[in-house]
Amino acid sequence: MSRSLFLGFLTYALLLAGVAAVSGELIALALPFVVYLLVGYLFTPDEIKLEATRHLSTERTSPNTNVVVTVTVTNRGSDLEEVLLEDMVPADLTIRSVSTPLSAGSPSRHLVRLAKNDSYTFAYTVSGPRGGYGFEYVRAKVNDHLRVTGREVQVEARGQLFVFPPVIRLQHVTIRPRRTRVYAGTIPARVGGSGIEFFGVREYQQGDSPRIINWRLSAHDAEADVLYANEFQQERVADVGLVLDGRLRTNEFAQGHSLFEYSVQAAAALADALLTQGNRVGMLVYASFLRWTLPGYGKVQRERILHSLAHARPGGSDIFADLEHLPTRLFPPESQIILISPLHEDDFSPLVQLRAQGYQILVISPNPVKFELSYLPKNRNVDLAGRVIRMERALLLQKVQRANIQVLDWDVVEPFDLVVKRMLSRPPAWLRAVGR
Amino acid sequence: MTLVAFILSVILGTGSLAYGYSQMGLTDPVRWFMLLGILWLLAHWQKYYWFSSVALFVTLIAAAFGVWVEFPTIWMLLGALGGLLGWDLSDFARRLSYAASTDDIVGMERRHLGRVGIVAALGFGLALLSLYIRINRLAFEVAVGLVLLAALGLTRLVIGLRRY
Repeated sequence: MSRSLFLGFLTYALLLAGVAAVSGELIALALPFVVYLLVGYLFTPDEIKLEATRHLSTERTSPNTNVVVTVTVTNRGSDLEEVLLEDMVPADLTIRSVSTPLSAGSPSRHLVRLAKNDSYTFAYTVSGPRGGYGFEYVRAKVNDHLRVTGREVQVEARGQLFVFPPVIRLQHVTIRPRRTRVYAGTIPARVGGSGIEFFGVREYQQGDSPRIINWRLSAHDAEADVLYANEFQQERVADVGLVLDGRLRTNEFAQGHSLFEYSVQAAAALADALLTQGNRVGMLVYASFLRWTLPGYGKVQRERILHSLAHARPGGSDIFADLEHLPTRLFPPESQIILISPLHEDDFSPLVQLRAQGYQILVISPNPVKFELSYLPKNRNVDLAGRVIRMERALLLQKVQRANIQVLDWDVVEPFDLVVKRMLSRPPAWLRAVGR
Repeated sequence: MTLVAFILSVILGTGSLAYGYSQMGLTDPVRWFMLLGILWLLAHWQKYYWFSSVALFVTLIAAAFGVWVEFPTIWMLLGALGGLLGWDLSDFARRLSYAASTDDIVGMERRHLGRVGIVAALGFGLALLSLYIRINRLAFEVAVGLVLLAALGLTRLVIGLRRY
């Protein structure tokens, strides 16, 4: 029941009782209440016209980094005696304030008096996990000074905050797709031409640099009076499709543990590295629905992918419960597909099908067995179950590798960049020269 | 500042009623009023702000009953006034709890207490005036008509003010 209604009820009850009992004293008793109500109504703000602006210290940040949100509310209407301003902070963000102790009330909520054309500015600090957050409006509860009347208005003050996953810098990611694009890059193109790596030998042609003449072979075949020249493998950019597996069945474990954040980190790091190498990268988040980021190059594409990763959430769906519905038409034929997934035994045949269609496939697989065992209690049953499931996974990975699919089994305790450096980096030229 | 004013209001409300009832030789209600005051303070301390509405209702009923059975009106009036002030200040304290520590809490308290004080004084003064100024030659029917007219006028005024 509102205050005015409650007080009005008491006042009228007293007045009626006074009339009924023919008692002037009862009516006199009601007079302070009448005055209270009248004064309250008299000072009701006649026009509420608030404007608000919002400023964020940064709109792009990394998880759990403090961001200062500054809100300024200006009163363009009549004097407002009591305004409770409350900024509507997205649910997943945590309000932290350096200057204001939290026990003294939320720093996003302020009780102020706003005279006509007055402004009030308040600031607070937020941080949060990976995600995209939208600030929509400031809620203002306006009262007369006795709070007999009250109104609530929502003042628009939009703002956006993107908390991107941390991007680990990878030095080099070696991929070997069957088909490359025409532009020069870093991926061996299986085509002879100018490059660094030896590709083959052909007859010397006019216009070739004398530096590429293979003198040893030419001398060996001196009778033919032919000069031979070394040919190098062209290095070009490639089409890479990143597939981030966000299925609940592969990512979520007991007690709320999830591997998805690790997968997101890996996706961010790989996208960054591959785009830095000049490749054309697209990304598909395969969860309760498909979130497709069209392929592109460079920094703009990096931003697009990071935006998509910021919004990526694991999800369950009957349709996308397995990889059967992976839309291969999104990826150019014979391009490189990098699947980031803890893998499920049902994923084997879709992967083989992809391979059969000519895609070069690399599976980055955060190890779910080691991850799950790391937080489960140590006892005989868990050990036994662990051994069984470890063997099952080893078998699955073996089967996948036999299908000529490269698999990187990643124990998430280990930093991703170290694993990539060990398993996917290109060996130095001198090491390649000696055939190691 | 608000807390002190609230405690004083509760003491004023329940104390006046207790004193008024004790003047008529009733001791049991005195204990109940004391208990109500203590409960009200405890409820406020525990942030059960809804209790203020209950307390106001009880004090008003007690005051009205006292007036009806012709206990000293002045104490009943002070009791009701104390109840109203306690109810208002309890709600104000609740609103202040939403404020951040950087807000001008002291200024708001000062302004609110000043205004509530004026309102209370005005209400009390009017009530006293109505008690001491009497028109003896007014027929009952006329009095009823005036009261109804006043209630109607009050309602119209309120509606008009809200529109304005």
